[in-house]
Amino acid sequence: MTDQTVTETAADTTRSSRSARRAMLKEFWYYFSENKGAVAGLFVFLTLVIVALLAPLLAPYSPDQQFRDSLLVPPVWDADGKAAFLLGTDAVGRDVLSRLIYGARYSLVIGLVVVTLALVSGILLGLVAGFFRGWVDTVIMRLMDVILAFPSLLLALVLVAILGPGLRNAMIAIALVLQPHFVRLTRASVLSEKNKDYVVSARVAGAGKVRLMTRTILPNCLAPLIVQATLSFSTAILDVAALGFLGMGAQPPTPEWGTMLADSREFITRAPWLVTLPGVAILVTVLAINLVGDGLRDTLDPKLKRS
Amino acid sequence: MLRFLLHRFGILIPTFIGVSIVTFAFIRVLPGDPILLLAGERGVTPERYAQLQELLGFDRPLVVQYWDYLWAILHGDFGTSLVSKQPVLDEFLARFPATLELSLCAMFLAVIIGIPAGVIAAVKRGSIYDQSIMTTALVGYSMPIFWWGLLLIILFSVTLGWTPVSGRISLMYYFPQVTGFMLIDSLLSGEKGAFASAVSHLILPSIVLGTIPLAVIARQTRSAMLEVLGEDYVRTARAKGLSSGRIVGLHALRNALIPVVTVIGLQVGVMMAGAILTETIFSWPGVGKWMLDSVFKRDYPVVQGGLLLIAAVVMVVNLMVDLLYGFINPRIRQG
Repeated sequence: MTDQTVTETAADTTRSSRSARRAMLKEFWYYFSENKGAVAGLFVFLTLVIVALLAPLLAPYSPDQQFRDSLLVPPVWDADGKAAFLLGTDAVGRDVLSRLIYGARYSLVIGLVVVTLALVSGILLGLVAGFFRGWVDTVIMRLMDVILAFPSLLLALVLVAILGPGLRNAMIAIALVLQPHFVRLTRASVLSEKNKDYVVSARVAGAGKVRLMTRTILPNCLAPLIVQATLSFSTAILDVAALGFLGMGAQPPTPEWGTMLADSREFITRAPWLVTLPGVAILVTVLAINLVGDGLRDTLDPKLKRS
Repeated sequence: MLRFLLHRFGILIPTFIGVSIVTFAFIRVLPGDPILLLAGERGVTPERYAQLQELLGFDRPLVVQYWDYLWAILHGDFGTSLVSKQPVLDEFLARFPATLELSLCAMFLAVIIGIPAGVIAAVKRGSIYDQSIMTTALVGYSMPIFWWGLLLIILFSVTLGWTPVSGRISLMYYFPQVTGFMLIDSLLSGEKGAFASAVSHLILPSIVLGTIPLAVIARQTRSAMLEVLGEDYVRTARAKGLSSGRIVGLHALRNALIPVVTVIGLQVGVMMAGAILTETIFSWPGVGKWMLDSVFKRDYPVVQGGLLLIAAVVMVVNLMVDLLYGFINPRIRQG
């Protein structure tokens, strides 16, 4: 075989793998788009991403700007509402709409950071545990059992008590309590893939351990991890908001939705919109992500696909 | 069955040791000197410091300290609160019935609504019932429960004035605690209206705490039912001419409930986490509020002991669920 043919074959392989990937994406979208709820969820989620990215352009005011002459103005549909403040103002005269828009930034970044932390560390530990087995496996899995033995929010609360209240520490704490799920999933997938023929043949062909783990096995374990990552994204937003609500997450005056709720508790009778609006924002975001997650699970799970 | 039991205990013991190491480490990884933390705000004289160091054993090797800690725990000594000077175990036991009562009521609501809802959704798959049940369940599953609690307070307590906002019972009733369960104690007291007061205090927190388990149970029941309804034996039962009520109730549901039991067990941990939020919103005097208050008061022995006790409760409940699972599903027992 000449060098030229080798290059041609290689080019063919890349081309065919690229078109195969395109076909896979097409098939994926075909099944995903059959689920109307999932498409709606995706639409809402993308809208939120755009709102978060364009927050400085979309928000009428800065989230911290105080209008001393307009304290606790109700939303515009109320008789006492002002057109200048569509969703009203809070107790120190800040525009609620602007704070909610900026809050979208916090929630999405929280979800992204927490899931990335939990996913990366979880995959690493899960790969190592499933691939090497033996005492490494035992130590890692027992450690995960220990983390799972604690109620998640309680453990996160205590971790934040150690690390000190604040958004960054709240995210680390939630990532830590979400991580065992990724470890368990990765390990289980690795165990089921490890002895399949394609892995054995890669090993026989001389692939090293790191290559076997990351290039051969991992791509075939991704489907359940993607679903888990999506669902963890919404859990992360909920839990960090809960910590904010308990006073252990983001600190005022950060326009984080959970913290906004905590601030508004004392106005529950006088200014109910301060309580309802941030909650609606959290609920809509979490619901949209869960809809996408359900859709992804149905699409990526071959057992359900053709039923 | 014995092997199954031994296997379960075999996993439980190292997990418990791990949990105790975590709680042991807790007080030592806090920023600052643990003795100064334990001594509280006022600080200590150098003599008292040395005395405390010796008393608490902080001058000895970590392994010895851990061993003493474990030994004390196994003898029921979980430390002493800095604020109340009471043993942590006593404080825990005084509050645990309140949390247990709330959790049981929440779980009761979740099960009696969740399972039938899931069954209806599965049997009427694709219908408007299925869609509305599953949409509601997904909303419930996505609910920030701390907000949900506030909404219910705005509606039922503030606007309609139907339910009280906080506590376990109206202050006008006073009677001895016999069981620690307000529903039972109020009945035993024989005071008129006490039971109704206890129920009205319990209803909103139970709804709030039960919301997520309810949604999870409904979703799990539906998918388990769908799987079972596609099995051969269900088709056989249909071919035999059995009524569909009999098929669903007798043949399908019993098998579908097996995974549902696991999910119900897993919700116990979720509920302990939810209890922190629910009890805070409704000023419910249970262990969740106790833990949060202790975190804020920097009452570290309580945080440490409470964390261990709550983890132990969750572990024991999970063990019981595992055993129950083995009992209702013979395949697990022998596997």
